Amino acid sequence: MSVLEVRDLTIRFGGLTAVDGLSLQVNEWEIVGLMGPNGAGKTTAFNCITGFYKADEGHVLYRDRDVTVLPPHRKAALGIARTFQNVGMVKSETVLENLLTAQHTKTGYGPFKALTGASVVRQRERDLAAHADAILELLGLTEFRDWPLGSLSYGTLKLLELGCALATDPDLLLLDEPSSGMGPEESDELGERLLALRRELGVTMLLIEHHVPLVAAVCDYVYVLNFGKLLAQGDPDQVRRHPEVVAAYLGGEAPDALAEALDEETV
Amino acid sequence: MATTELLSPYDAGASQRRASITGWLTRGGAALPIVALVLLLPKHSGDWTNDAIFAAIYAMVGLSMNVLVGYTGQISLGQQAFLGIGALTAANVVHSGTNTPDPFTFALGMVCAVAVSAGAAAVLGGIALRIRGLYLALVTLVFGAVTADAVFTIPSLNGNDAGVSAYRPSAIQTDFSYYVFALVMVGLCVYVDVWIRRTKVGRGLIALRDNELVAGAFGINVLGYKLLGFVLSGAMAGLAGGVFAFWSQEFSDKDFTAAAGFNKALIFVVMVVVGGLGNRAGVIAAAAFFALLDPIFSGIASGTGWLNFYTDHKAYISNIIGAVLLLQTVIFNPGGLGQVIRPFTRWFAGHPFSLHDEHGDAAAAALGGGSDVRA
Repeated sequence: MSVLEVRDLTIRFGGLTAVDGLSLQVNEWEIVGLMGPNGAGKTTAFNCITGFYKADEGHVLYRDRDVTVLPPHRKAALGIARTFQNVGMVKSETVLENLLTAQHTKTGYGPFKALTGASVVRQRERDLAAHADAILELLGLTEFRDWPLGSLSYGTLKLLELGCALATDPDLLLLDEPSSGMGPEESDELGERLLALRRELGVTMLLIEHHVPLVAAVCDYVYVLNFGKLLAQGDPDQVRRHPEVVAAYLGGEAPDALAEALDEETV
Repeated sequence: MATTELLSPYDAGASQRRASITGWLTRGGAALPIVALVLLLPKHSGDWTNDAIFAAIYAMVGLSMNVLVGYTGQISLGQQAFLGIGALTAANVVHSGTNTPDPFTFALGMVCAVAVSAGAAAVLGGIALRIRGLYLALVTLVFGAVTADAVFTIPSLNGNDAGVSAYRPSAIQTDFSYYVFALVMVGLCVYVDVWIRRTKVGRGLIALRDNELVAGAFGINVLGYKLLGFVLSGAMAGLAGGVFAFWSQEFSDKDFTAAAGFNKALIFVVMVVVGGLGNRAGVIAAAAFFALLDPIFSGIASGTGWLNFYTDHKAYISNIIGAVLLLQTVIFNPGGLGQVIRPFTRWFAGHPFSLHDEHGDAAAAALGGGSDVRA
């Protein structure tokens, strides 16, 4: 059974077709990459899978359940977590408060019960804080616990955002360029971390990523988008050598690149 | 502070909170003058009691504005409507004529004031869900004006324009005992506010204020929580309205229509901003300040022989002071009065005294600038 299946997804903005008949599948325990040049429609597809945009055509299935029209918070409650390209967290709050906010659907008390300050609410709040501390420890961010977000570096913010996504207790994690703004070493570290997360928490992942070494290191399968259409798919090594993918990233016409690639192979 | 106990990261936050017994005693001692000012002055001066009740009512409205503007990030230029709806409902439910109501009827009146006002806020919230900024401000402004002019002027609800009497039950008949009752109601609002802030309710509201996309990704029902913000705000303002009715001992539409209503709406917005958005203590202090502005100025004016001049111009004077303070806050001090007094409020809450508090500064800075996260 696939965790996520996207069937013929099409999203149009006015005359522009941002995503055109995209189909993809993410199986249990897989880490799947979604690549493509800028403006290829990767983030748009993400926004549609997570419910922020409405699909014009096509379906999104989560564990065989059609979730195409569910709003974002319902999908989050089902276990679909996401991160944002330019860090999506509650800026005016501290690190700890962000991790608590991310556990919104796991609180176990209703909003009106909360206002009574009942003992069960106090107990649950302590549990949530303990869980937040465990996540901080897992990511090595414990020292930043009570820091406001504004004083954290970009790399720490990216990592914390991953922590917030984990705090929602995800089953499927959608990461939008998790390595952006990171150097090669940090990005290697991130790769290790993602693999460890899958090993320890059993999270399935779909990630948008440009950094080829990272994709090669962690992804089991890769889809490449260009101008909203699926250009290629396969395991990372296959896709990396795919002539049209090379052309899409480097510019130029596919036949030329193809010829060059063939030349190289014949030599 | 026993810093050696900070070994476990789990206790770090909790340990920083604890003050020693002498620390708490010092804080208790320092709080005495404030308690004396709040309790004893109204007890021994009849004029002050009346004004102090009014300040308590404004404090409740301030807290209601804080929920809506401070936490939820919405705007309301029609909050006086909820105050009025609460007052109208309480007076009409109790409907005791010239008699003293029994405690049960009085309590029922207060509960109905809260419920009806919360319901009205749900209607406004429902309309406001998908609009923001200038248009939301306009809708709330119109809501306030229309409610005042169309609902409060219905003769059967406002005692045929003569006002509906609202006498207090015998137990809280005197001004001072009613003041204590009003303080208990403020305490109730503070309690609710504390638990809003400590639980997922406040975190949800603040998350959607900062960024609706992020809130959605965190599993927060953005539309539902926005509506909840309106309802909680309306409920608190409705309670304030109930207290207002029995303070003035009548509901009169003239307190909420035309200039009187608009002035209130304006002051309510000004006081929550000057107090500091999202800052409970600051908002209460600012609300009390604006409520007591008139009595204090009248006192000063009559003492110095300027009473006639003041009475002739008092409408502009409080508005000008409000406008100046608003500008001062927005330009120089976006955290408001709450940010200024934060070292003290934190100290009273058991933290060590510190003039530099990173979290507070960041919150103030975050309120100053918008969020730039996009999906």
